Amino acid sequence: MSELFVALTPANLLACFVGTVLGTIVGVLPGLGPAGAMALVLPLTIKLGPTAGLIMLAGIYYGAMYGGSTTSILVNVPGEAASVVTTIDGYRLARKGRAGAALAIAAIASFVAGTISVVALQVAAPFVARAALAFGPAEYFAFALLGLVLLANLTGGSRAKPLAMVLTGLMLSTVGMDPLGGTVRFTFDLAGAQAGLSFVAVTTGLFGVAEVLASMAEPAASSAVARVRFRDLYPNREELRRSVPPMLRGTVLGFLVGLVPGPAATIASFVSYGIEKKVSRHRRELGTGAIEGVAGPEAANNAAAGGGMIPLLSLGLPFTPSTAVLLSGMLLMSVTPGPFLLRDHPSVFWGVIGSFYVGNVMLLLLNLPLVGVFARVATIPPKYLMPGVLVLCAVAAYSDNNNIFDVWVMVVAGIAGWAMRALDFSPAPLVLGLVLGPVLERSLLQALTIARGEVRGLWASGPAAVMLAAAVVAFVAPGLVALVRRSATRTT
Amino acid sequence: MGRDRWSAAGLALLAIMYLLVARRYPLDTLATPGPGVIPLIAGVALLATAIWLLIVARTARPARDVGGLSGSGAAPTRPIESVPVLRSPFVLTAALILYAALLPRLGFIASSFAIVVLASRLMGARGWWRPVVLGLGVAATAYLLFARWLGVPLP
Repeated sequence: MSELFVALTPANLLACFVGTVLGTIVGVLPGLGPAGAMALVLPLTIKLGPTAGLIMLAGIYYGAMYGGSTTSILVNVPGEAASVVTTIDGYRLARKGRAGAALAIAAIASFVAGTISVVALQVAAPFVARAALAFGPAEYFAFALLGLVLLANLTGGSRAKPLAMVLTGLMLSTVGMDPLGGTVRFTFDLAGAQAGLSFVAVTTGLFGVAEVLASMAEPAASSAVARVRFRDLYPNREELRRSVPPMLRGTVLGFLVGLVPGPAATIASFVSYGIEKKVSRHRRELGTGAIEGVAGPEAANNAAAGGGMIPLLSLGLPFTPSTAVLLSGMLLMSVTPGPFLLRDHPSVFWGVIGSFYVGNVMLLLLNLPLVGVFARVATIPPKYLMPGVLVLCAVAAYSDNNNIFDVWVMVVAGIAGWAMRALDFSPAPLVLGLVLGPVLERSLLQALTIARGEVRGLWASGPAAVMLAAAVVAFVAPGLVALVRRSATRTT
Repeated sequence: MGRDRWSAAGLALLAIMYLLVARRYPLDTLATPGPGVIPLIAGVALLATAIWLLIVARTARPARDVGGLSGSGAAPTRPIESVPVLRSPFVLTAALILYAALLPRLGFIASSFAIVVLASRLMGARGWWRPVVLGLGVAATAYLLFARWLGVPLP
């Protein structure tokens, strides 16, 4: 526990500061998301060593949740998918002249939710990790499978498309050495492919290069930023009072959603808005510029970022692209997340958690006075920003293995990602399929070997059976519900 | 709806090609599963999903992404207001391929300078001196920051 204070060493404080500032900027910029940005700075963080490096990466992750709301409120352009709902009431509040109050409430909600979810993370993660020590290959297989099925369900739109992306990611994960026997697969005699497709190269391509290409196909949104003076930043007592209940509801909800695989922060903010529309005392005003519409979702997306750290830190399983980048960062620094992280690297584990507290305070102090500066970052024309992003992508991809092959992977992933966007396919499930593929393969083959070839061995234990059953239900249920609904509308 | 049908066909083709290559890797027995097991499962599952997508594309009404739940963390951009310059992304794509090819030959600084100048021109920067300054700045900063200060090897 005393390792929490590891976060307070000067190097780690600096890493946290740089991470949160970068995160805020990334959050403010439409286009570049946290996962892409984290992949871009991976080469930098690796040089910092595990604790400082991971603190910086994590800072980008939750800093982006803060920054995303700024442009939602001021410019009506969400910086992040997780801040889309904030535009609804946030921008209308700004039009009413309450921009400062909305920004302050967003920052306070983020702070409250971020802090509460870290406390929950701190309490829950060791328990989950201890429980996970009993996990064998069969349980890991069941859990990873459940995660991927839920992911396909939650991504929105047609379910076949995210599923296809998960499977494509799984296929790509089989390139290179197989995790058990060491057979080299699907390399087509390319030396660079033997180690597998670089996760960093695929991520920078899909989230960085593809974004640059996509931004060229669409004209830049005109951005007129409302000026906010420092003394306007105080919400009045009425606004503060009305924000507290949605803030707390959003925190609890966001944390729980964060535990579930899927684009947790985005979903949490949408669900929170939906709940406020049902239960808030001022629900009639939602949509016309109600402070609840900012407080709830902004709390929810930050709490979800904290909740999402639990499966990563205690099981080693990432369920969002951002935590997947964190995972690959950990692996590159030879820190294996999972049940043994707490035992083997206590200073990394507690240092990162401790940095969440520090980072949230930093973000609050940064965001309130500097909100105008960050808002202006959003107005940097893409023609000056995006070319630099391209070069950073290439540096990140190349430095992963010092291999020009990975730059090719990045270019191809970028082109593919652009095409996927145009065809309405989301890149997130692909990235997670790629990350979870080796976990799935190793655990399935090991479980089969342990069970001496009996397929029943996969659901012999209680937890594995429950998770596999949940996966089957999650896979079949949405189709059944749709069928029932269709027949119900037909009969009435 | 045509788009979805084409992408389903493309995914099915990908799955079939993958499965053809995957035949090389042995399945062995259930008690000692070989390196061909997961590729077989993944390939067959993708093929099945592609067929599912094909059927959905033929029957369902246009699927809408629920408010940008793409989960990529990137925000959906605003609806297109003017006619986009459709050619320039393709030019940049070609330039990126050239960039990857030239990196090991020309070195990091020269090729990065070239791609930045070209990309900012393609994105609508006017004149030459701004893109050139930007290119020099980006290439030099990246080189100093990564290669010199952090010791990251660059091509």
